[in-house]
Amino acid sequence: MSKPREVLLRVTDLKKAYGHVQAVGGISFQAHRGSVFTILGPNGAGKTTTLEILEGIRVADSGEIELFGETARRVTEQMKQRMGVLLQEGSFEPYLRVHEVLKLFSSFFDHAVPVDEVLERVALKDKAGALVRTLSGGQKQRLAVGVALVNDPELVFLDEPTTGLDPQARRNLWSIFQELQEADKTLILTTHYMEEAEELSNHVCIMDHGTIIAEGSAEEMARGLGQDSIIEFEVPELDSSAASALSAAGLALEHDDGTAVLHAPELTKAMAGLLSWAEKHDVPLTNLSVRQPNLEDVFLSLTGRRLRE
Amino acid sequence: MTAVLRLSYLSLRTWLRERITLFWSLFFPVFVLVLLSAIFGGADEERYMRFHIGLVNLDREAEHADFSNMVEQAFAHLAEPKAEGREQLFVLNTPGEEEDPEAFLDRTREALRQGHLAAVVVIPAGFSETVGAALHGTAAFLQAEVKLLYNHGDSGSELAASIVEQVLADLNRQVLVQANLYERDQEVPASSSWVGTADGAVRYVDFLLPGVVLMAFLTNGLFGVPGSILYARDERILRRYWVTPFTVRKYLVAYSMATLAMCALQLALLWALGSGAFGARVPLAAPLPGLYLLLSAVTFLALGFIIASLSKTANAGMSIANILNMPMLFLSGIFFPVTGLPVALQVIVYANPVTYLVDGLRVSLDVGAGKLPPWSTVVVPLLWIAVAVAVAARKLQWDVDQ
Repeated sequence: MSKPREVLLRVTDLKKAYGHVQAVGGISFQAHRGSVFTILGPNGAGKTTTLEILEGIRVADSGEIELFGETARRVTEQMKQRMGVLLQEGSFEPYLRVHEVLKLFSSFFDHAVPVDEVLERVALKDKAGALVRTLSGGQKQRLAVGVALVNDPELVFLDEPTTGLDPQARRNLWSIFQELQEADKTLILTTHYMEEAEELSNHVCIMDHGTIIAEGSAEEMARGLGQDSIIEFEVPELDSSAASALSAAGLALEHDDGTAVLHAPELTKAMAGLLSWAEKHDVPLTNLSVRQPNLEDVFLSLTGRRLRE
Repeated sequence: MTAVLRLSYLSLRTWLRERITLFWSLFFPVFVLVLLSAIFGGADEERYMRFHIGLVNLDREAEHADFSNMVEQAFAHLAEPKAEGREQLFVLNTPGEEEDPEAFLDRTREALRQGHLAAVVVIPAGFSETVGAALHGTAAFLQAEVKLLYNHGDSGSELAASIVEQVLADLNRQVLVQANLYERDQEVPASSSWVGTADGAVRYVDFLLPGVVLMAFLTNGLFGVPGSILYARDERILRRYWVTPFTVRKYLVAYSMATLAMCALQLALLWALGSGAFGARVPLAAPLPGLYLLLSAVTFLALGFIIASLSKTANAGMSIANILNMPMLFLSGIFFPVTGLPVALQVIVYANPVTYLVDGLRVSLDVGAGKLPPWSTVVVPLLWIAVAVAVAARKLQWDVDQ
């Protein structure tokens, strides 16, 4: 394993309220150079507010930000020179052409990469002359990523970068992010997609109601739930005698919105028990699946809710 | 600085790519200029007033047709192109050599009724004889009557008729003077002179062109600022700038420069058209008119910022602009004089910065009388700019409120 890298971003006791709503309630974390740091949480958890403070759009009520070794209450212009930002709902003038957008944003920075290089990186070379308004959703998002990269930033904020995109467009963006990480960029990512967090991050912190409720690598956190396998199948409803028969067979059952979830410490035994039970009670094991615990389960076990509720 | 220039240039480019902006900023002012020039100024060569009249001499065959010939020649003289430095006032329609005057008269009556002619002058048979007799005291002048036919209710025809009447009155006097029957003492002394450009009358296009230019500038300010800045804010186009080292102040400079460039484009287009197609001669690029144009562009930009500051969304801003646009245009004297209005409307006229700017601009171009104190044409717009700066600094939101 490589030795711990320098801390690029450190946040201490950050707080932000909108009226009576405490959007961010005193969070602290740090991100190392070259890592992908992900804030995972449902909508309204405070992820975007946290990022907007770090991007310089909002000012925190209290707390401290240390960026590139400098401490400040709010983000300075010098810090912005070294950051790239992908806004959650940012957009561009619809009547500008793709290359014009990139040239415009390049001119905002002291140091900028050639536009051609950016176009190549986000695979928009053949769209360089197209008007923004003619781009597809995925292309617009790639342009937004390109704009975040015009100054060759050390730190890139990606606020829900793949929300609303189709799976193919999402995979395209993921591969761009992975290339960035290989180029030693530090990425701060927010998402409510568990798969995205698992696929991309070195470090995940789970946020809910403005606070961080768990932190670590995706594997670490999932492992924290124990070695149990998870068996799932669809069942509209279970009568109580069938349910209690299952518990008697030593299988702890949770019924969650039409899906039965079983935690199985020993998979072989559990499967044998389940199959004989299903035969006896005439339960069709629709969409039966067996998997290891993931971040979704971590969130569920911590909050009793699912991420996308 | 490169960033400011680039944003400014690209903003202008995007405006020129948008059909709606092209229409309101460039096509519409051109349309207004062409339309009003064509209606009130006469197109191309006919930028001076000129009437088509019919002249029928039924007395031509008489033995001593001296007096009827005199009338005929007087009109022929006025219809000569550029006779003696005078502009051609009439285009004369007379019967051909072979044509029967009575038949011609019927034809001209019909042409008059249909509006092809403005008036018809008829010299009755026996005219010369009666005038001659009257001069010798053997007949009444009243019996020698030149008939004037015109279209009642048609302002062009009525105007032509009154001019013809004056011509006839003048002839009358000449005849009387010749016969020593005219007392000069009885004449009321009167003289008239043109106010305006050195070489004569103020042509309508010279009056109109500065007004249309200001109208075009007003569109940029009133609609442009809320339309593009609030749109960009609400669509989070601006927010995308604020997460870079680019600042609001730089954005403001870039936006203002782009708007002024648009104004320059409008000015160039309207001026080229006005002078090329309609013969406008106003010196719009002279220092004083130039300063008034700049002041106008900045004032309207400032008004746009007031609207943007008071509206929650781009659509709300555009609605406010729509409500303000018409009264600001029509209660300013841009197109029509604004005298004799009820007090409530007078208040709007005097609060309206356009009133002052158009007055100052026209005086500086020597195409207007200047109804306002000259200082006010600068001070009132400056006051509006000061109000705009104060309101925008306090109220204008540069980012979406969540």
